[in-house]
Amino acid sequence: MAEILQYVHKDGLFHRLTPFSKILLIIVVAVMCVLATGIPFLLLLVAALIVLACASNLHRELFGQLKLLLVMSVIFIVITVLTMPNGLAIGTVIPQGVPVIGGAIPVTAGAVMIGIVLALRFVVLIFAFQLFLISTQPRDLVHALDRLHMPVDYILMFIIALRFIPTLQIEGTRIHEAQLARGYNPGTGLLGKVRSVHPIVVPLVSNALLRSTVLGLTIDMRGYRTGTRTRVRERLLGTADYVTITGLFVVAAGFATVALVAPVLVF
Amino acid sequence: MIELSEVSYTYPHTVQEALHQLSLVLEKGRCIMVTGPSGAGKTTLCLAASGILAHEYGGKKAGVVTINGKNVADYPGLSAIAQTLGIVFDDAEAQMIFTTVEEEILSALEYRGLSPEEIEKRLSEILEVTYLTALKDRSPHHLSGGQKQRVALAATLALGNDVLILDEPTSELDEYATRQIVSILKNLKDQGKTLLIIEHKFGHFREIIDTLVIMEHGAISTIGAPDEVLKDNRIRKMVIPDFAGIRSGTAPAVPTGRTVSAIDIRHLSFSYGDVPALHEVNLIIGPGEFVAIVGENGSGKTTLIRQFNRLLTPTAGDVLVNGKNTRECTIAELARDVGLVFQNPDHMFFADTVKDEVAFGLKNLDIGNRDAVIDAALTEAGLLHAKDLYPRWLSRGERQRLAIACVVAMQPKIIVLDEPTTGLDGDEARLIMEILKKHQLRGNTVVVITHNREIARDCADRIIVMDQGHVLSDTRVRGVG
Repeated sequence: MAEILQYVHKDGLFHRLTPFSKILLIIVVAVMCVLATGIPFLLLLVAALIVLACASNLHRELFGQLKLLLVMSVIFIVITVLTMPNGLAIGTVIPQGVPVIGGAIPVTAGAVMIGIVLALRFVVLIFAFQLFLISTQPRDLVHALDRLHMPVDYILMFIIALRFIPTLQIEGTRIHEAQLARGYNPGTGLLGKVRSVHPIVVPLVSNALLRSTVLGLTIDMRGYRTGTRTRVRERLLGTADYVTITGLFVVAAGFATVALVAPVLVF
Repeated sequence: MIELSEVSYTYPHTVQEALHQLSLVLEKGRCIMVTGPSGAGKTTLCLAASGILAHEYGGKKAGVVTINGKNVADYPGLSAIAQTLGIVFDDAEAQMIFTTVEEEILSALEYRGLSPEEIEKRLSEILEVTYLTALKDRSPHHLSGGQKQRVALAATLALGNDVLILDEPTSELDEYATRQIVSILKNLKDQGKTLLIIEHKFGHFREIIDTLVIMEHGAISTIGAPDEVLKDNRIRKMVIPDFAGIRSGTAPAVPTGRTVSAIDIRHLSFSYGDVPALHEVNLIIGPGEFVAIVGENGSGKTTLIRQFNRLLTPTAGDVLVNGKNTRECTIAELARDVGLVFQNPDHMFFADTVKDEVAFGLKNLDIGNRDAVIDAALTEAGLLHAKDLYPRWLSRGERQRLAIACVVAMQPKIIVLDEPTTGLDGDEARLIMEILKKHQLRGNTVVVITHNREIARDCADRIIVMDQGHVLSDTRVRGVG
């Protein structure tokens, strides 16, 4: 089973960068995608991240999440269309021919555009975070956040949150299988998913709570919170990092210039 | 050295004491093994001895625990205690924090005030002594249960503490891997380390144990040198599982043709992605047989039984269950023929009462006369008295029996169990085997995966040995069939 947002042991461009460079990349990308509202520019960001992933041999992991991203994007667009009517109506959700309620819930061009922008921003942020997390060992992340003077308890909380993703994934599958083996047939589709909530979520949450207790005690009993750490195998900034950081400054400056000189290209 | 003096403890929101006036001294360089029925308070003893109860748990506490002469309550916190004492919990998965085996151990070493050179040296030593060098780049989440237990032990060994508390460190290990762990612990003891081990595998640990402690109902019922303690016949049966007399003398029905086979496996191969797990397995299990499947961790035993109810579908070949090709059936349909009891019973429990938990399968299969069926299944499992209790309040042994009752109540002709005696003492393990034997005597087929040689030898009519995805041998036990 492919694990979501977990470190993948590979040797590629992203793996060679220190967490600092990658954190900076996330900041630059996040700022640009939040400020920009132009669909072509956001598509350019998506394309750039895909090129980076291909160059870093991480494209398979990135594309593994496409289905989830597609579903989420559609949900964004639908919610926007339903809640933020704006501009010219290009159709209606309920066809005109339906008696009484025909023509209700207009689909407006402005809402669709906003929905697409939101979906693209979401894709950019997820791609950027995913590239960061699947190429960074938690130990390196601990070192980097420690250097940035983040309190150790917050660092550990972040690491635990990440660490619980595969546990819940694997545990959820096992519980699902255990219930199927008891003749449980919740059906397929959304209704099936809703029906299966009780027999799967109850054991999943109960087991996760027990596990989190042991995990918390393990962290204490291994002395991770003592704060006196020997820095070993710490990743230092290398040529690839200097090139990346310089490149990011150039991109950020370029974005600012374009935004001021030719805003139509990004907004 | 650890000393517990008149320690009593009651968990929050409960009334029964988990520990009752327990006193125990663990002297430097000695090894104490604690055993007893599930729910006797063994894990609570670990929590008390390591100072965890004092610092992290609420509830009613009495008595004194000292580590190296200092009251655990006087330590500023667990991190301070962790400078002296290491503990490995029974849930290995929960102790995997990082993303590679090496990172898991290295991270523990970084907090010991060692120089980088010392850390690297100790890392390679620990990887070597715990037989993890070949696995150092693997993700802990993808390791087998036994391998995870070794990683958890290695990360604790990395701390270099003089006192080690181990809660069932070999529960998921096969014979070979258990011997590896015992050899690691023997070396540690020879180095002067102090060990407190909760275990059920007395036979494997015999050579390193100085004192054997039997816990029952939250208190120490017997303590002493192993040979002295085992003179009591009742205790002996609890410590050393005795399955004598379980296997019936009656000959099981031997399949005479493919149509009567309970399970008929033809040229079965299976791969997880690119990783082959089963290769060209051919096997016929007849109705009414009691079959034990044995083999080392990772030999393909669990992968094989998951084909029986189509949790996995063959990559090549076919599996026929009561004459039906599993490829043509859904998992829900096959649940009428095959009942599968998973290794961890907690994966199935979600209902509010024991009774409702059993009723879930009956509703799914639309089986009538439910109250009578539930009472019969719970009576056989010895759990009728607990029918209105919350399933997760039961002890490990009781939960395992409930899992079996849930499946038996669904009246499948074939029942398949994955390591049903993990974490159970001799008496509880025998109880499980007796339930399964009764199921067999009603004409049903029983297939058990086990690492326990005695179960295979004394309970099964037939022993199938698996190795690297193949059936290595298939032997009918002498005197039967």
